[in-house]
Amino acid sequence: MIVLGSLLATGWLVAMAPATDATTEAVAPEITAVPDASPEPASPEPASPEPVVADAGPEPVVADAIPEPVVAPPSEVATVAPVETETEAETELADTGQSKLHRAVERSGPPYYDEADQAELRERHGIKETQDTPREPVRWRCLIADPTCGTSFEVNALSAYGRRFQQGNVSTGEVRRWHTGRAQYDLWVNIPVFSETRRRTKFTRMTLGPKGGLVFSDTGDFWGNFGIAARYWLGRGRFAPSIEFSSALAFKLGGRPTNGLLGGEPKFVSQRGPVGFVADVGVGIGGFGAIVVSGQYDSPLAREDVPEQFRVAAGGMFYVGFRGNILWGAPAAAAIATHGITQRTVERPR
Amino acid sequence: MIFPLAFLLLNVVPTATSAENGEEWSPPGRKDGGAEEYGPFFEDEPVSDTQWTSQSRRSKYPVLSVGEGTFCFVEGSHCKASLLISGEVAAGLRVPASNKGPDIPYAHWGVRGGLTVRPIMFNRRAWHPWGVGVVGCWTRGTGSVTIESTGDAQEQASTDRTDAWRVALLNQLWLSRKPHALHLDFAIGVVRSQVLTSGTSFSGSHAEIGFGWGGWGAVYGGADFLDRDTRVVFGFRAHGVAAAPVVVAALLGLALGGAL
Repeated sequence: MIVLGSLLATGWLVAMAPATDATTEAVAPEITAVPDASPEPASPEPASPEPVVADAGPEPVVADAIPEPVVAPPSEVATVAPVETETEAETELADTGQSKLHRAVERSGPPYYDEADQAELRERHGIKETQDTPREPVRWRCLIADPTCGTSFEVNALSAYGRRFQQGNVSTGEVRRWHTGRAQYDLWVNIPVFSETRRRTKFTRMTLGPKGGLVFSDTGDFWGNFGIAARYWLGRGRFAPSIEFSSALAFKLGGRPTNGLLGGEPKFVSQRGPVGFVADVGVGIGGFGAIVVSGQYDSPLAREDVPEQFRVAAGGMFYVGFRGNILWGAPAAAAIATHGITQRTVERPR
Repeated sequence: MIFPLAFLLLNVVPTATSAENGEEWSPPGRKDGGAEEYGPFFEDEPVSDTQWTSQSRRSKYPVLSVGEGTFCFVEGSHCKASLLISGEVAAGLRVPASNKGPDIPYAHWGVRGGLTVRPIMFNRRAWHPWGVGVVGCWTRGTGSVTIESTGDAQEQASTDRTDAWRVALLNQLWLSRKPHALHLDFAIGVVRSQVLTSGTSFSGSHAEIGFGWGGWGAVYGGADFLDRDTRVVFGFRAHGVAAAPVVVAALLGLALGGAL
């Protein structure tokens, strides 16, 4: 019964809501004008004998009347506020049809502080003023990564010296090793996952997102790869250092069956490549380039139910190189040159 | 019994002042008085006091768009129609019928194109999460291997590569209104490809689910279901604006190396 009574009471109150609103509307135009204190510091000088403007105080003001500054007697001013203050209780009128609403416009002063107040606070506590002017926007509209960018996209090219290896005869423990080059092109999607705010400017600290692309090495070998790339900014400048991490699944797509460029036919074959992985770490300057150290592992295809001629031995590569955004040219040129030179000069042990 | 009814009536009956003024109550809707726009309403992103100083967009309209976002060459959350063109790589598994040999690794690379539209954004709402489109895809994949046993003999066969064409209906669900918002792509269609080592192309069905960041990049998982030949892959897709320089650089490298 108690619950039922409560529900009934609630419903009755809701039903009576318009009448209540109407009552409130008749009374509502009364607002309280509370003038703000002056932002100027208090003066130690004695009060002026002239009448000064004082706080209006929390005196109710009729809505339709514009509140005017109240002039207090000199004696009251001398005891309560011995400084010259300025009433800032401006009002704006908004005609709502039946009544006029007044809105006080706030001025600087507690609890509203301006630059002068902050400067005084810094001086009081011995804090240096930071010239933290926001950086001008980057030129390439975030196609080259920068701490001032949010989500961005970039195409990176890697050129590297590598040391490849591949498992040989298992019974003798043979491992083939050879020097090679590596060219890699990746699209990075940089999603800010950690940012810092300086005044009203956001700076990206860390980005994390998917990446994918193609990898080329000697004898026509090329792989696809896709995974995750991360970059941690160690500064906020255009050439801020950064640490880059990436890891991806790598899978062989094809290669040349012979060392010679004009070897037998077919010149190029697709190759079934079990999924391996690649991971790297780099130290970069801005979004322009990074020195990268990395390794790749190619999984074997050596199940018993796969005939011998279709099996693939385990392999991999360690490499050190330079990775950078293709937009400023040098990384792309270096990768293309590395790709070409590797094709012409590297002979893979067969 | 009367009390609950009274409670419901008292709470349901509109209490707006318009009713007291004799006006007929109607839900918020179009200016002509229709109630077709009655929710759900998708609110704008809240305005933030802070922002990055560098923006990838030149104006408030999507990147590489015309007609104030009516048509975009790179998909965006606020595009009414978008061109799809991308390159992709993927890896997975090829699963032949049990009497045709073992499962073997499979990988492919290819290109994809298409068109998507956001129908409800054309004349009804400024933004809506649903998009629909048509996509076509060509891929070149690794070859197949078949091993069939006939009595004591075992027949082995292989192919150098596997080409495939796909056409699919695409349904999109954009998950936010940010310019490069994450969106889910569901594609179902047909695939035409060589089946195992038969040397003959057959048609099958194709299904795919992808997660895209705007139109620039996406990861996806897809499958081709052909007669006795199923392929399941997981891959990455990059927009043509990003993929084209990569292809050009790769071709230049091959040409410099004398491979072309």
